[in-house]
Amino acid sequence: MTQPDGRPRGTRWGLQTKLILSMLFVGVVPLVVGLGMAFWQGSQEIRDVSGESFKALATEAARKLDLLVGEEVARNSRIVNDETVVRALERRRDALHASGAPSAAALAELERRWRAQEPAVVKSITETPLSALLRDYYTGTHSESAQLLPQVVRTATKMLFLTDTQGVLVAAMTTKPDFLNHDARWWQGAYNKAVGQLYVEDVHFDPRADTYVFTISLPVMDSLRYEVVGVLHRVIDAKEFFSPYTHVIRFGKTGHVMLIDSRGVVMSCPILPTGVSLSDLSLVPLITPFQPGWVQASSDGHGGHQTSVIGFAPLPETSRATNGSPDSGSWHTFVWQSSDELFAPIQHLFTWMVVFGTVAVALLASLGYVAATRIVTPVRQLQQAARSIGRGDLRSAIRIQTGDELEDLADEFNRMNQQLEAAFAGLTSQVQLKTEEVQYLQQSTDQILDTVPTPILLMDPQEQVTYANRAARETFAIAAPGNLREPLFSLLPVDPATQHVLREELLARDAAALDEREAGSARDPLAPAGERSVPGRRGELQMAGRCYQYQWFRLPGRSPDQDRIGLVLRDTTDESRLQDQVIQAEKSRSLGVLAAGIGHELNNPLFGIMGLGEAIQEEQNLERIKTYAQDIISQGRRMARIIRDFTGVASRESCDQRVPVHLEEEVDKALATLRTTADLPNLTVEKHYVGGLRVLALPDQLRQAISNLLTNAVQAMNGSGRLTLRTTQGGNVAMLSIGDSGPGIAKQHLSKVFDPFFTTKGQGEGSGLGLTIARRILRKFGGDVRIESLEGQGTTCVVTLPLLPPDQEKEPWTATASPSASQPSHSS
Amino acid sequence: MDCNRFTVGVATLALIVGGSGAALPHAKDKPWGSGIPPDKVADYVHAILEADRTIYTKHVVDRMQQKGIVAAAEHWEQDNALPLPAQFLQHSGRLVAEQGRGIRYRLISATPIYQRNAPATDFERKALETLRSKADGPVTGIVSSGKRQYFQAIYPDRAVSAACVACHNSHPLSPKRDFKLNDVMGGMAITIPIE
Repeated sequence: MTQPDGRPRGTRWGLQTKLILSMLFVGVVPLVVGLGMAFWQGSQEIRDVSGESFKALATEAARKLDLLVGEEVARNSRIVNDETVVRALERRRDALHASGAPSAAALAELERRWRAQEPAVVKSITETPLSALLRDYYTGTHSESAQLLPQVVRTATKMLFLTDTQGVLVAAMTTKPDFLNHDARWWQGAYNKAVGQLYVEDVHFDPRADTYVFTISLPVMDSLRYEVVGVLHRVIDAKEFFSPYTHVIRFGKTGHVMLIDSRGVVMSCPILPTGVSLSDLSLVPLITPFQPGWVQASSDGHGGHQTSVIGFAPLPETSRATNGSPDSGSWHTFVWQSSDELFAPIQHLFTWMVVFGTVAVALLASLGYVAATRIVTPVRQLQQAARSIGRGDLRSAIRIQTGDELEDLADEFNRMNQQLEAAFAGLTSQVQLKTEEVQYLQQSTDQILDTVPTPILLMDPQEQVTYANRAARETFAIAAPGNLREPLFSLLPVDPATQHVLREELLARDAAALDEREAGSARDPLAPAGERSVPGRRGELQMAGRCYQYQWFRLPGRSPDQDRIGLVLRDTTDESRLQDQVIQAEKSRSLGVLAAGIGHELNNPLFGIMGLGEAIQEEQNLERIKTYAQDIISQGRRMARIIRDFTGVASRESCDQRVPVHLEEEVDKALATLRTTADLPNLTVEKHYVGGLRVLALPDQLRQAISNLLTNAVQAMNGSGRLTLRTTQGGNVAMLSIGDSGPGIAKQHLSKVFDPFFTTKGQGEGSGLGLTIARRILRKFGGDVRIESLEGQGTTCVVTLPLLPPDQEKEPWTATASPSASQPSHSS
Repeated sequence: MDCNRFTVGVATLALIVGGSGAALPHAKDKPWGSGIPPDKVADYVHAILEADRTIYTKHVVDRMQQKGIVAAAEHWEQDNALPLPAQFLQHSGRLVAEQGRGIRYRLISATPIYQRNAPATDFERKALETLRSKADGPVTGIVSSGKRQYFQAIYPDRAVSAACVACHNSHPLSPKRDFKLNDVMGGMAITIPIE
């Protein structure tokens, strides 16, 4: 298996693992989120529901306790409304009014005696009818059966006594009460400037009762309810009084109701002792508003610092009377349950949810494993199959029957495999065919190259010869035709200087090829690269006594490194020898003609001289003799001129340097020579010269070439007719056209006129080399010649030569070792 | 607090009127000596009380309730509400009493919501009975507590506002629940000590 991204195998997770993890992820995340949300929502719900329940419970408990206190107040009201009590206190009021208030000293004395429990004083207070009445009310004698003082209230009552309008004790059941109460808050509150009001005192420690108590003080109004005539005071043990009502309300292990006052002092609680303050007084403002409610607090007031839900409610009627007014204090119920217990159900639920969640995760994992295996197995089969297809050795079809996309995919794989096999089979046969074709082509090429008599070598850029055709093998005595790999210069027997030249040419060729590649120009692969990039590099070299023309060419490979360089060598030893012979023969023939011409030219004056000489011999007349001598001299001069003309030709023949020559002058000279060698009385010459055309050539050879063309034209007209000579200049080419009015050339001969030894003249009349030589000479000078002819309308011979640039003739002439000018020729 | 201050002012005014009446040097033969007769004082006080309570009822309680700003409720301290008109009068009576000037007034009824507002004496009981049938003036008389004597005038007290009727007809502790507007619901007892 390949690693497409190159990661280490250790971090790579298989499809199966991913599928299982995906399923787990898909399952676990909603599960955890759901569990969390359920837990949170559950907690909120429980808190809200508990809060509302606590609030309701607190309200209900407050109502109950309110009623309880109210009942107690009503019970005391019966005492204060008792006519006996009212009348007795009215009388005491009137008596006080009549006799004036007793002095402070007298009262202090009485108090001392009361404290000392002097029997007389004690009896005057505890044994009076009023005290008996109080006792009766306490024991329930005066109550109807339904209104019997409950036992609890009775035992909770620590003191019950009456005072007069001065706060002085009037009647009491026991000796515990103080004698003077005028300065007591409860007394001031209940007396209330003789207006009177219910006064419920907050819980406090009473040393006489030796417990935490609260008190109820009621004014005794006169019979008109006009003013206060006394105060009834009841001291009640708070815990004893309230606990039967608060302690029974328990829920769960810790849930309970308690009663507190506005200072946060506990009046009754199953857990906290009466009289202590709540552990966290910052709770007090939260739980003592005048409306029932519930709150989530950071502590429970019982010493715990967990978040707690607390329900609370005021005792509305009682609070109205506490310490005289609601502003001075109020009583509240407080319902609380420990958070641990309160949230136990949700904790329990959470535990179970975690357990179920774990089970669900385990189930997810196992189901995921099963599902992933079911998915992954066919995928792995497909993977194996793909690998087999890749190796090309899948023989049997893939069998997956899952009935889903994987089965379709397997079918597609099978189909693809079949198509691939078919395609491969076709490809193989095509490759075979092409290989055969290539082999055939190679063989053909080899055979063709082998039949070529020219040695051809192919080498790589490292100058290693990789191929040599038969001519090369024979020439360079290469034995093995097969796997050839020899350095070039071990095959070519050349001297080091030539090797150097060749190597430089090779390098230059490489650079040129490189330049060409870099230029990015599209190249016709069939065109020989060397011909174009390095034109005219057709050199010659001497090897083993033979002369070779060589030419480089490039075989482009698939890459620049695989380019090959070819070397074509042409043995020109025989050819140049033959050519020299032909030129020599032509020269000899021309010399013969020339000699005949010279003879003819010289014969006439010579015969004239001879005749004049004979005449002088016989003539006596000196005058005539002088005349004859004069004629002889003129004839001699004529001969001398003729000879000088020819010697001028001869003297330049030896010169092998190209010089600038006037084309038109050379034409005129050639025409003059023609005229001297042949009697051409009926020849009309028309000249249309543009003038000043200069070309670079050997004058004699150029004149010979032109002479050949002129001779050809004149001979075509049989010496009589119109010869038209025209020079023109086109670009950097000088053009000379020689037209005759002869019969023209037949079309079938037109293509052969430049062939050597082709002639239409009779035996002995022409060598058939005239035009051949002319063309050879002209091409040597970089020019060319072509024949235009229409049968019956004469023939025009057009010569082109490269024009000498005007600036070049001013420079000192530097002869070059003729880089062989092989201009492409398009004429036949 | 404003209400209380307002009530104190009214009560003070009433007392000034009453006090000044008592100081007048007249009618030596009458038990209350020279000055304004107590029935007149009671009339003055009653007129002021009636006016004050009517203004409070119509222009404070009814208006605030109609505009939905604040309602009147029995437990007004806890409910952040206005005192009921009857409570207004009772509380002002308490304030007056606490000032110790002697004159006191309270509302009484034969069918009270709280027993503390029931008639305290036979005189009061009979006066209420009288007023139920003939409610065009106060029932007055001299009453005594021990050796003390007081002039008492019981004025008929009518349901001046729909709120009065609604509350008394719906209160769980109310023994009578068929009051109508302008019914005589009870009486205002004004007590003036006779020295």
